[in-house]
Amino acid sequence: MADTTAPSTTAPTSTTTPGRRKAVSLTRTPTWAWALPPVLVLALGFLYPLALVVRQSFTPESLEDGGASLTPYTEVFASTVFREALTTTVWLAVGATVGCLVLGFVLALVIAFVPFPGGKAVARFIDVFLSFPSFLITLALLFIYGSVGMANGAWTGVTGAAEGPFHFLTTPWGVLLAEITYFTPFVMRPLLAAFSQLDTAQLEVASSLGAGPVRIVRQVILPEALPALAAGGSLVLVLCLNEFGIVLFTGAKGVTTLPMLVYSKAILESDYPAACVVAVVNIALSVGLYSLYRVVSRRAGA
Amino acid sequence: MSPGNLATTTAPSGIQFDGVSVAYGENTVLDRLDLTVEPGEVMALLGPSGSGKTTALRAVAGFVRPASGRVLIGGRDVTQLPPNQRGIGMVVQQYALFPHLKVKDNVAFGLKAHRTPKAEIAGRVTEALELVGMAAYATRYPRELSGGQQQRVAIARALAIRPGVLLLDEPLSALDARLRSGMLAELARLHRELPDVSILYVTHDQVEALTLADRIAVMDRARLQDCGTPEELYRRPRTEFTASFVGNANLLPVTVTGPGRVDLAGAALDVPTDTAAPGAAATLCVRPHLVGIGAGPNALTGTVTEVQWRGSTHRVHAEVAGHRLVADLRELRDPPALGDPVTLHFASEDAVLLPAGTAPEATESPKKPQAVASG
Amino acid sequence: MLVHSRTGKWATWSAFALLFVPLFAVPLLVILAASFSTNWSGALPSGPTATRYTAATSGDSLQALTTSLVTALCASVLALVLGGWAALAASSLGRRGKRFLDALFMLPVAVPSVVVGLAVLVAFSRPPVLLNGTRWIVIIAHTVLVTAFAYQSVSAAARRLDPMYEQAAASLGASPARVLWRVRLPLLLPSLTAAAGLCFALSMGELSATMMLYPPDWTPLPVQIFAATDRGSLFTGAALAVVLMGTTLLVLTAVSRIRTRASYR
Repeated sequence: MADTTAPSTTAPTSTTTPGRRKAVSLTRTPTWAWALPPVLVLALGFLYPLALVVRQSFTPESLEDGGASLTPYTEVFASTVFREALTTTVWLAVGATVGCLVLGFVLALVIAFVPFPGGKAVARFIDVFLSFPSFLITLALLFIYGSVGMANGAWTGVTGAAEGPFHFLTTPWGVLLAEITYFTPFVMRPLLAAFSQLDTAQLEVASSLGAGPVRIVRQVILPEALPALAAGGSLVLVLCLNEFGIVLFTGAKGVTTLPMLVYSKAILESDYPAACVVAVVNIALSVGLYSLYRVVSRRAGA
Repeated sequence: MSPGNLATTTAPSGIQFDGVSVAYGENTVLDRLDLTVEPGEVMALLGPSGSGKTTALRAVAGFVRPASGRVLIGGRDVTQLPPNQRGIGMVVQQYALFPHLKVKDNVAFGLKAHRTPKAEIAGRVTEALELVGMAAYATRYPRELSGGQQQRVAIARALAIRPGVLLLDEPLSALDARLRSGMLAELARLHRELPDVSILYVTHDQVEALTLADRIAVMDRARLQDCGTPEELYRRPRTEFTASFVGNANLLPVTVTGPGRVDLAGAALDVPTDTAAPGAAATLCVRPHLVGIGAGPNALTGTVTEVQWRGSTHRVHAEVAGHRLVADLRELRDPPALGDPVTLHFASEDAVLLPAGTAPEATESPKKPQAVASG
Repeated sequence: MLVHSRTGKWATWSAFALLFVPLFAVPLLVILAASFSTNWSGALPSGPTATRYTAATSGDSLQALTTSLVTALCASVLALVLGGWAALAASSLGRRGKRFLDALFMLPVAVPSVVVGLAVLVAFSRPPVLLNGTRWIVIIAHTVLVTAFAYQSVSAAARRLDPMYEQAAASLGASPARVLWRVRLPLLLPSLTAAAGLCFALSMGELSATMMLYPPDWTPLPVQIFAATDRGSLFTGAALAVVLMGTTLLVLTAVSRIRTRASYR
């Protein structure tokens, strides 16, 4: 233990510069106080609005002056539009995630382990791709597969038919295609990072021991890539659940997702309590999954 | 606690560890260290990794907070002071030169932090860079320098603020072997030119410690094991750990049979026994290069188990009375072969008797009464 | 490394091209080609024209572009200050404090942007703060949405920053404030600019929350693109999209220029 009985030894220390320094202040601002200002700003701009959404979801229009009621919830949960939107949202998100994982894994595998000239450029292209908004993909697909787009135009030009065979763009399949296209890079990026950590000597040793490419992928690469796959996959799942631009741009009446429903309830129908109910459900779904993603990616060390 | 300006002091100020313990949770990484570095002394903290030596240095710098005990610099208790108010110079293994600043701005950094008058800064920077022979590189960026050059700049940066105490944390371990011996000589020269600066030098390399230090503190498993001048530790180690860590050593278990006599598995040997009572178990320490081949005093006969040719020497391992004895012999014209019988011997005065068993408690006597002050 | 035979390699590369080109390269090229044409009902576009660009860079469209630029600039600067500050404050906190701030500042990523838009709309359409119908409500929503990304990249960079630089600075007598200004921030500059670029790009393309909030006199470019395609002017939409992508790329390139100059090692 500290020896406190010894006389305090304050030996004089000679100084050579003028004493322009302030006396040592021992009462310093605690470190957590520095985190307060940004937290307060975030609380005001984000948490407070979010809390109001939750409150509004319990306040039907008839009860505008205080009082809480579950009426908005029972009404919304009873509507078929909501149930269909919930199902569509979930299966679209799950389908798109699976598609992104498979496609992203294959593409990243080739870029990382069957290197070709221009591979770096492709990787950079993927980074650029990520910085563009999602609805551009739907816009492009409209030109390619739209009712007057190039695919149908080519078909009618060749066969002389009145209209082309591609009508899937306004169905959930069009949304699925767009989501897979847009979100695959989100899987590829963590995968490429994980692959670059993998010691290539492992692959060389494995193939010198007689393992073929499939066995190497399954037994050497895949185990290493699993954390990155899990992290990328759950991020994409959340982003797909929340995707709005892609669905809005298809202009399809048949495809309603939860974010789309929030938009139409609030802006088109001005039914704020209903919009807030859908929003709360969507938040619960996404935030729950996102927490899972954080846990997974922390495990993965990402 | 005395406030005020200490960082620009050139007055000699030593370091004092007063029962300093550091723990991370349950894990004690430094256990009640008592050690005094005299003003102007070079003290090496020598030990294997995990021995607590770097923790001790970081406690002086203020980057670890002792769980108990006090750290004094120049007689002043700095235990509660933040690092920037301690007035120390520090050089770490990876140099930590600021990559975004030119060499001269790196060196000026500490001066500006101490509000040195602008007019003085340029002169002090040049002075510090000249001291380490790097004045010609003032406008380079660190990334444009070699490892050895970065090392010199790091030293100049630490010295520019004229600290009373210089902390060196494995400063040469990132350099290759040839540069290392050059820098070692350089550090020795620097210390001759700045005789008032106390240096605490952390290393795991016994050669660095033996070459540079006035005294060496040997650390192991969070504790101070031994402290003394390099010669004392080398010639008269007091623990098995010191004997084997500072230089090589043959350590043989013996029993004291009488004054000046011990028994090694039936073989009677004449060695000084002033530290042990008759009947006690002890460990006999003999340096391999002090073991001779052929007949002589304290002769032991055994079988050769290994012979290594090392250029200027032959290292012969022999099994003697059930124990291994290693001898470093000046290159032999006719070295023995494996399995040959061999006779080895050593002079009584070259042997040291150590307490048997594990390393002794650090509390035994860290501050040796015969500890010699700086030379 | 994985495939050793020549034919095997070529087969793999062809498969890669077959997947990659139609999925990723073609869409962007299609938009580019469409923006220069008047008609696309065959396999190839026809009626080459540049008139869309005259329209896309004047009048409403030009205003939409400046609206987007101003919004993105404000949002990314605000987000950088807010997220960067929080990330730096978090890096000096204990494990629990750090986790709390991480969770708090990453939350906007998990909440759907549409919902963020709705929440901001609900909150600022009533006293005490009435911002509905002003540009500020758009800027607030964008800031909230991109702050998470600023926080994430700055805190990742702060974690990677070797503490030995701060310790060296402190041992030389630098106060915590000086360590922050002279050592940490300069060393973090590359990550800060990268974060700024990311925030800018995200804000430029933000549509979901904006659709909930934008006042008539503050329509950012994505809304304009949607309006064009919604009324059937796909080709105008394509031209506007190219303007959007071009501007974003331009700013990103400029930012990465600063970044390479700022990285000293």
